Amino acid sequence: MSTAAPPQKAPPPRERSGGRLSDGAFALLLTAPGLALFAAIIFYPLLSALFTGFFRQDLRLPGREFVGLDNFTHWLDGDFLAILEQTLIFTVGATLVPFVIGFALALALNTGLKGSGFLRGLFLFPWVIPGVVVSFLWMWIFNANYGVLNGVLMEAGIIDESVAWLGRPGTAMLAVIVTKAWASFPWMMVMLLAGLQTVPKELHEAASMDGAGSVRRFFAVTWPQVRGVASIVLLLEFIWNFQHFDTIYVLTGGGPAGTTETFATAVYQTAFKGFDIGRATALGGLWMLLLLLLVAVYLRITERKGDA
Amino acid sequence: MTTSGISRRGALRMLGIGALGAAGAGVLGACAPSGAGSPSNGGDPKSKNFDFTSWSLNEEAAKPSIEKIIAAWEKAQKSTIRAVSYPYNEYLSQLTLKLGGGETTGAVHLDIAWLAAMAQMGRLADLGPVAGKGGYTDVALKSGTYDGTQYGLPWNTGSIGVIANAHLLEKAGIQKHPTTVEEFEAALRELKGLGGGVVPYAAATKVAQLKDIFPWMQTFGCKLLDGGKVTIGDDASVDAVTWYKKLHDDKLIAADVDRFDARALFGQGKAAFYDDAIIGKGVTSAQSKDKTLADAMQPMERPVLKAGDTPQALLWGGVIAIVKGKGQDAATEFALHTTTDRATTSEYFAARALPPSTTAGLAAPEVAKDTFTTEWTRKITRTATGSPFWQFAQNAQIEEAVAKQVQAVLVGKSKPKDAMKQAGEEAAALIKR
Repeated sequence: MSTAAPPQKAPPPRERSGGRLSDGAFALLLTAPGLALFAAIIFYPLLSALFTGFFRQDLRLPGREFVGLDNFTHWLDGDFLAILEQTLIFTVGATLVPFVIGFALALALNTGLKGSGFLRGLFLFPWVIPGVVVSFLWMWIFNANYGVLNGVLMEAGIIDESVAWLGRPGTAMLAVIVTKAWASFPWMMVMLLAGLQTVPKELHEAASMDGAGSVRRFFAVTWPQVRGVASIVLLLEFIWNFQHFDTIYVLTGGGPAGTTETFATAVYQTAFKGFDIGRATALGGLWMLLLLLLVAVYLRITERKGDA
Repeated sequence: MTTSGISRRGALRMLGIGALGAAGAGVLGACAPSGAGSPSNGGDPKSKNFDFTSWSLNEEAAKPSIEKIIAAWEKAQKSTIRAVSYPYNEYLSQLTLKLGGGETTGAVHLDIAWLAAMAQMGRLADLGPVAGKGGYTDVALKSGTYDGTQYGLPWNTGSIGVIANAHLLEKAGIQKHPTTVEEFEAALRELKGLGGGVVPYAAATKVAQLKDIFPWMQTFGCKLLDGGKVTIGDDASVDAVTWYKKLHDDKLIAADVDRFDARALFGQGKAAFYDDAIIGKGVTSAQSKDKTLADAMQPMERPVLKAGDTPQALLWGGVIAIVKGKGQDAATEFALHTTTDRATTSEYFAARALPPSTTAGLAAPEVAKDTFTTEWTRKITRTATGSPFWQFAQNAQIEEAVAKQVQAVLVGKSKPKDAMKQAGEEAAALIKR
């Protein structure tokens, strides 16, 4: 008679003993320096600044006075909606224009055309130039009185006299969007190209065999495959543009007559030109609430993608 | 076996959170209050080494001559001066932040319009005991005073006025400088007729320098501030802005122009008139390819509304203030030397055409025989006055509030009457704050 051997027990889970750390404690230890740094350089200033929004405080002078919600109502009863509208116009324009350009270039480069490696490097050029330098370059291009653009257009007989691109409400915002689009399209192109390269060639071949033309293949094969990357790229660019500062500040400073003023320039002008730190942080707080909404949308999308 | 690592989803989430973190830090962290109010910026007041902060060190035409002054001092005193600079249009903001944060020490070059704002921060030294040794003119000495205390040693004292290009006036057949607003407008129309992209009057139309509208408002009869009451918004200010808008719409002045653009246009021979301080001759002619331009630059009395009125001009000048703390004593000696030493001021005048602020300096032959300087003093500085808003710490904000409203009129976003009413209300509110 033989007796069956008792089933082997699974090894017990690792427990803290003899000075050994559990996985959780070890993870906490690893993240502690980062958390401490986060608390010191982001969380504390953030709370402190939010708190300042309830005070009248001049950056130059000591002391401050509690004013309740006055700083918030100053904006909400005043320029908040205009600033929001201008921020959205800039954000949507500076997101969609480079997206369209970047996607078109990514599609072209993905066809494997001759010299695509060189072209990819060339198109990345605007992205490696610092934003402020790009803005100064375009400022000279758009200059009303001795800018390159006016010179070229006048030479070509398209305009009779110089146009103040940065000095007129409509064209100023357009100029800012063009400048930002020029700086942003390479990043979007690279991301979208990476997405395009993951689309299996077999899908295109099968679609071709079924008689699908290039437009049909784009909508039936390519777009569904890169839609995820495209939505993330669009949303990230939207969030970044919603906070964007340097291009607008260098080109127009928020002018003319406040027509390109966004949250970023308004907060800067209020804090560092007007020295009104209370109102600046109040506007910054409102701005951050809107950003939180955007980030929540972003997280929701990435969450959904993860679950799918 | 467990695996760890960041999934693509996790990485993207972190990127999103990073965006928010950056926003939070950038948006609000940068606005977090600093500890203002300390009376001194620390350090040893007896130190031989100190900083010298000046916007002129950022300007091509001025930099070499100031560096020369610094080098001579360092050699003579066996000390080190750290030169610090910010562009003029950003200078006040940067200096305010650095001074408030305790980062600025030593000697600081200030526009006289900013003295009140800086003095109210409580970090500037009282230079009364040394100012008496300088031999400064009374007007100059007063430009460095705020609330009865001498906070600045005057370096240069002058005014902002209109400069004309004699070559273009001659080309347009204009025999003499226009003296009334009506004559001025007629002259601008003549000049516009020259064609070739000539901007008859390169007046400021960008916010940064639209404070140049104030002397025009005064020309039309607005007092700006009367007995503590802001008068911007009255009929005179509305008339002035309406006239300015007419010049803009008729393309007698150009859009998107600040001082630097105006100098560039004038230097290219494309502008017949522009507003500048007396320093303009040196700066503009230095950057022009036309070597005869300096001789063609003429100071002009600002046209008046009707014959017999007093031409309006804004006082202008620079002082050197001293920050309490590190290097205070040596910086004070440096400021006194730079602004009063006969050889130094003469050499500086020769390089930059900036008249000195001392009686002896002004009497020096090279200054006295300079026609542009003497003409400028006679035609412009003689009737120049300081802005009534200089006494307020919020002067820069008042100027900007008015400038933004004027710009709104120029680009057609607002009517002169509404804009000036709004500008007056904003200025009054800023004064009360």
